[in-house]
Amino acid sequence: MSVCNMLHKNSASLKALTQLLITLLCTFGLSGCNFKQERKVMKIGYMICNSEQETIARFAPLTRYLSDKTGVEFVPVPVDTADFEGRFQKGEFALTHGNSLLYVILRENHGLQLLASEKRGHFGSRTAGAIIARKGGGITKLTDIRGKRMVFGPMLAPTGYLAEYDLMLRSGIDPERDLAYYAIPPGSYKHEKLIYAVLYGQFDVAAAPMLDLETMVKEGKIAADDFVILAQTPVIPYCTFGAAKETDPKLVAKIRQALMELTPETAVDVAGERIKVLKAAWVDGFEELQDSDFNPIREMAKRVNMPPYAKY
Amino acid sequence: MKIDKFDKLLGLLLASVLIALVLVLWQGSDRQAGTAKAVADRVMERELTYQARVALLQKLYGPVDELRRKGELQTALLKLDEVSRQYPGEAHGHVLQAEILHEMGVLEEALASYVAGIRLNGEYIDRKSPLSRREAISRLVTEGERDIVSRAKANPANRTLATALTNINYLKSRLAGGCE
Repeated sequence: MSVCNMLHKNSASLKALTQLLITLLCTFGLSGCNFKQERKVMKIGYMICNSEQETIARFAPLTRYLSDKTGVEFVPVPVDTADFEGRFQKGEFALTHGNSLLYVILRENHGLQLLASEKRGHFGSRTAGAIIARKGGGITKLTDIRGKRMVFGPMLAPTGYLAEYDLMLRSGIDPERDLAYYAIPPGSYKHEKLIYAVLYGQFDVAAAPMLDLETMVKEGKIAADDFVILAQTPVIPYCTFGAAKETDPKLVAKIRQALMELTPETAVDVAGERIKVLKAAWVDGFEELQDSDFNPIREMAKRVNMPPYAKY
Repeated sequence: MKIDKFDKLLGLLLASVLIALVLVLWQGSDRQAGTAKAVADRVMERELTYQARVALLQKLYGPVDELRRKGELQTALLKLDEVSRQYPGEAHGHVLQAEILHEMGVLEEALASYVAGIRLNGEYIDRKSPLSRREAISRLVTEGERDIVSRAKANPANRTLATALTNINYLKSRLAGGCE
């Protein structure tokens, strides 16, 4: 009888212990879930350069790095340049990564805060546009382009369209009237396409970003001697990170610091792979510019009648 | 005076010591001549290597210099990229890039390029070297101090301006004779 009692007592205490363990596990499990849920989620809108896939591949490691550094769960959102302002206005993303003209548009229309600017190429966080012709093609100076076929980059490209268009206007050449014809290449890799278009004679002159010329020379795709640079635009800021004006100032400071601390050796784990952040993003580093550094772009946009100053 | 065996032995020993001394002195002078010759050879070798290096740099970077002389600075930078594909770690490339960027008015990047070049090869700051760029660097440092120091003071939290300032200070210390 006493043995039965003992067994009964033991099984009761075992049951109680098991219940306690289950309760503890659930509590820890749920608190773990709650912890994950409590981590703030924010979206970063990345301007698409060539394709969504390429944009995500470039910036997924950088996004992971920023999440690790700030404790905020950042999610990359690839955004078409033409849709960028509309989607930002709708609140689809609070942080932005786009070209310097987009920064000016979002700054003027929505009070975007400047975070940090990308460094890449000879001029660091800045670059220039150039008007190029094929060497030996008979075009040796800017005035020779009157009546010729010209190819520009996409319309919202600061150094593939805006700066060259402005340069031509300032040099007394109206692209709408003084050229035989001008076009913008379709699809992705527009800047490379227009450089090749001049090299292989499809167009006489092109508005080429210096950064793309630099990159193509470094990669051995073209030679410096293939082209004549007829004119070069002023050096202006390149791609830039921004934050919506209502973003927590402490978080803004944290993100800026994280970007400035990036070195070529900084690496993160993405999908089981250790990836170098800057190399993946095609960036040499980041710089802190001031809003006034973007004033030359503002002046260009006013002269060319482009957003955010376009008047109809 | 009688000369005994002992005296003969002493004489023989003395003669041996004298002969040994003469031999040692003769060998010493020979060795000195050899050392002097070796030093002369090394200096000659160093000079030849140096001349060859300067000639090679002139040949490699000649087209870049030519474009610079013609005022085609942007094309010169592209040409420099081409050469740098073959010789990526060459200090001369950084120094030329610094000079071109300085001409284009891109001060912060010019400072960074000079720093990169001089860290690789201190000859560019050496007054006596035919590769010396001392005057150009001094000019850039003066311009940089005028332009960047005031901006850095006005924006003390700006890390980019702080880096430019660090580069100015590095070049100033090298100009003053400081080592790496």
